[in-house]
Amino acid sequence: MIGALLLLAVAATLAAGTLLAAWLDRRLAGGGGIASLAADWLAGPVRTEAPDDMNRRLAPAWYLALAAAGLCVVPFAPGHAAIDSPAGIAIWGACEALTVVVVFLHGWSPNAPFPLIGAYRYAAIGLPAMLPSMFVLIAAALPAESLSLVAIVDSQRGAWNVLRQPLGLPLFAVAILSLTLRGPMDYADGADIAGGTSAEEAGPARALWQAARLAMLVSACAMAATLFLGGPLGPVLPGPVWLWLKTAGMMAAILALGARIARPPPARMLGLVWTVLLPLSFLHLLISGVIAL
Amino acid sequence: MSHLARLAATAPAPVFAAIGPGLAPAVERLLARPGLRRAATPREAALLLVAGAIPDRAAGALDRVHDQVPHPRRTVRWDGTGDIERALLDARADLLGGGESAPDRRPDAPPAPWRGKGDHGQGGEGMMGGTPYGRPMAMTGADIRDGLQLDRYTARVGPFAPMLPPGLVLEVTLQGDVIVAVEVQAPAFDQPAEADAPDLVAARMLRLLGLPGAADRVAAGGRPRAAGLLRAVPPGLVPVGGRDARDRLAGCLAGRSQEIEPPDLAALLPGLEWAEAMLALASLPPSSLAQEALAA
Amino acid sequence: MTDLVIAALCLFAVWTGWRVFRVDSMVRASFSLMLSFVAVGAVGVVLSAPYIGIATIFMMAVEMMVMAIFMVMFMMNPAGLNPMVMVHQHRVAAVAGGLAFAGLAAAVLAADPPAARVATGTDTVAALGHELLGPSMLIFETAGVTLLATMVGAVILSSRRGRFGPADDGSRPPGLEPGGPPAGRQPEGGGGHHHHH
Repeated sequence: MIGALLLLAVAATLAAGTLLAAWLDRRLAGGGGIASLAADWLAGPVRTEAPDDMNRRLAPAWYLALAAAGLCVVPFAPGHAAIDSPAGIAIWGACEALTVVVVFLHGWSPNAPFPLIGAYRYAAIGLPAMLPSMFVLIAAALPAESLSLVAIVDSQRGAWNVLRQPLGLPLFAVAILSLTLRGPMDYADGADIAGGTSAEEAGPARALWQAARLAMLVSACAMAATLFLGGPLGPVLPGPVWLWLKTAGMMAAILALGARIARPPPARMLGLVWTVLLPLSFLHLLISGVIAL
Repeated sequence: MSHLARLAATAPAPVFAAIGPGLAPAVERLLARPGLRRAATPREAALLLVAGAIPDRAAGALDRVHDQVPHPRRTVRWDGTGDIERALLDARADLLGGGESAPDRRPDAPPAPWRGKGDHGQGGEGMMGGTPYGRPMAMTGADIRDGLQLDRYTARVGPFAPMLPPGLVLEVTLQGDVIVAVEVQAPAFDQPAEADAPDLVAARMLRLLGLPGAADRVAAGGRPRAAGLLRAVPPGLVPVGGRDARDRLAGCLAGRSQEIEPPDLAALLPGLEWAEAMLALASLPPSSLAQEALAA
Repeated sequence: MTDLVIAALCLFAVWTGWRVFRVDSMVRASFSLMLSFVAVGAVGVVLSAPYIGIATIFMMAVEMMVMAIFMVMFMMNPAGLNPMVMVHQHRVAAVAGGLAFAGLAAAVLAADPPAARVATGTDTVAALGHELLGPSMLIFETAGVTLLATMVGAVILSSRRGRFGPADDGSRPPGLEPGGPPAGRQPEGGGGHHHHH
């Protein structure tokens, strides 16, 4: 019974969150919004020469499925997640890794140069950008002494991780930008490659891919709220409401951030990831470890 | 009109612009308006804006761009006079109301029949090479950086590629992201002096830096309101007259117009990565890439 | 029920493994192999080894992604416009495959798998953690730091920006006296100083 309720909560959160994300995207980041999704949906499909049709059709579905799987491990009330796995945080990590694969396939499958460049460019930045996020996940598990997200939420009853692990949320924000193809981490869809992995896409396929991006934003922000802002913990209001409020706040922050930071060329970002973000994530792990002791 | 179409009608109209001689600055300012959206690719657009008289040499490319716009689509021509925003929005409303979509201008077929090689149609030497559908496949070639031999992929970009000045056609050979050879096949179309205006140059660079909102604000005379603009541009990128791309962006943001010697693209671009090269090209005033400049 | 799920996952793993050799592009082959490993990881999850199973999935996702990138780097052939055949050296491959199958089958038949069921409620993830970071701590930490150093080293080697300038300009150190020969050991054959303009 509770299991079915939680699955329903995941589906409803993903659907409503995606609409909210589209609205916020238009207000805060100059994105297309819900109306543009509708306009894309009404346009006709296009076909490139000799594409990989299976992967082309499946890419948005996989992306959406990963967003849903990621949201399933998020506890909606203290002690309750749709998938209450002892390795919940590793499931989220697997979703992050598979997202890189899906974005790559999305760019590879149309069989065209600009999408292909977007695809491997994203993989080249997305993979190293995932390393700091893995360290952030490990650090968040330290005070809880568990990989379970339910335990991680419980460990924040005294103080939220955002206070105990000050570098965690900024580092995780980089991962969210990368997972949702936004702003300074959007190496898949640059203007210099005419929209990159989406350059050869129109109609319902484009609308679905854009919706999946927004759904992933919902999932990743819910994960950030769980890891750093105490998830469903909070006074007076019920747990799910707190989680929704925190997730919406994170979504607004990420969208505003993504629209206000310049994106350097990939080689420069690669240097930044390896020489700044990775050492910072080690420092973060050290700080979190010492505090947890 | 269905509910979905009514909802879609409230979105900014996605426009892909094929810009001819003389109208680049006017179109760039037009597409920064809130009711219109500059499509990153013809696939994202519903309207094809053909601005100015497209020279014959680009007519074939224009037809190809036209056929890439998904149905329902409409071409709107503009000679620089009249209320073009109204015309675009009317065309958009008509399309969403079930108006007729423009048919293809070229046959939807490969440019040549299959000409693969090998027992399994797998190409030429080993598993690479061959010319399937008349397209030479990538083959390994010498590397200009560290000697690691990777595939070289040659493609022609332009004259309506949104990341290049209108009219410019480059034949580029890429190894991954790295440009190993460039041939200028056609110069940029001539544009009025306003195309070199510092705010428009800055807006073009900001768009490549992933900040379309900031680009529109700058093109409309505002401040970019974004962080890390100068530091995102790699130092020492295509220096011309002692000033690199970062200096040029700083100058443009400060409102200083620039005089630039016409650069030799075939010598400057190889060795750069595609994103850097496009950023460097955007930092140059388009007049330095036009006909007489490149011929000089 | 568990048996059915495991059987289905095993069949999926074998089928996607077979697809690796039947598809006509390296990228498709890489990701078929990834799906095969994902199914194996899922078997691990069903067999009450959640961490090992999920770690298999995310490690294979990253590894096959890197492999696909290499494929595209060396064969810039998007979406298999130019179809390739994934099998060659048939005789050697058949013998090696047969031997490997026989060896693994013998190992499976000869092994004595543990029969005791894991009691429900056992925290296998914590037990695995204690095993890895207890008796085997030194091995894992050494391997981890070595791998990280290798990764950083590989990135530095492939970077265009050298300590003394861009790699395609030779990245040579300045001379000890003004205008003198570059300081430090001279690489044989001129090092990375190639010009192909």
